[in-house]
Amino acid sequence: MVDPMADTELKQKVEGLISEHPVLLFMKGVPDQPMCGFSMRTVAVLDQLGVEYGAIDVLPALQPLREVTAEISDWQTFPQLYVNGELVGGCDIIEEMFASGELAQLLGVEQPEAAEAADESRIVPGGPQQSPPMQLE
Amino acid sequence: MIETALPGADVKMLDEGGGDHLRAVVTAPQFEGLKRLDQHRLVRNALRERFDDGSIHALSIKTSVPG
Repeated sequence: MVDPMADTELKQKVEGLISEHPVLLFMKGVPDQPMCGFSMRTVAVLDQLGVEYGAIDVLPALQPLREVTAEISDWQTFPQLYVNGELVGGCDIIEEMFASGELAQLLGVEQPEAAEAADESRIVPGGPQQSPPMQLE
Repeated sequence: MIETALPGADVKMLDEGGGDHLRAVVTAPQFEGLKRLDQHRLVRNALRERFDDGSIHALSIKTSVPG
């Protein structure tokens, strides 16, 4: 049984990151090398939208981060996309909102033509910019 | 389990691999007026025990309101 209380220091750090970055993705791995299919699909959506985002690799502190995000957002699976300080969702919601145009609207970008839930073959190398992956420690 | 938590829901569970990667397609009247995130929370919370005991590893969710 793990400590039921999330790590306070880590929680503050995460809350700080969420408030500092208008678009922030918590993911497994890094955008150039996602370590999970759901994270990869979410990255693919953000890349297709050409939006700049911060990315946090959760793998080095997976369980503590689960506890922290459970407290902050009542959500403990990754990926998690935060926009303007609020959790938007994980892969399923992001793909649905991308397909419907809601995500482009939320992010204030134009919906790309022929937008649809990405599959792996649609990931274009050297795509849009993103901030370098951030380390928590 | 989902039907118990959300009476009247129409639930389809699809196995996406290995038996522990599941896809839930849920139509429920309780979703009316809720944000997608909250709809997903309802489904996820209904299955929490299965997550906690490890019988579900990954779950993708698709929700809709009937009608």
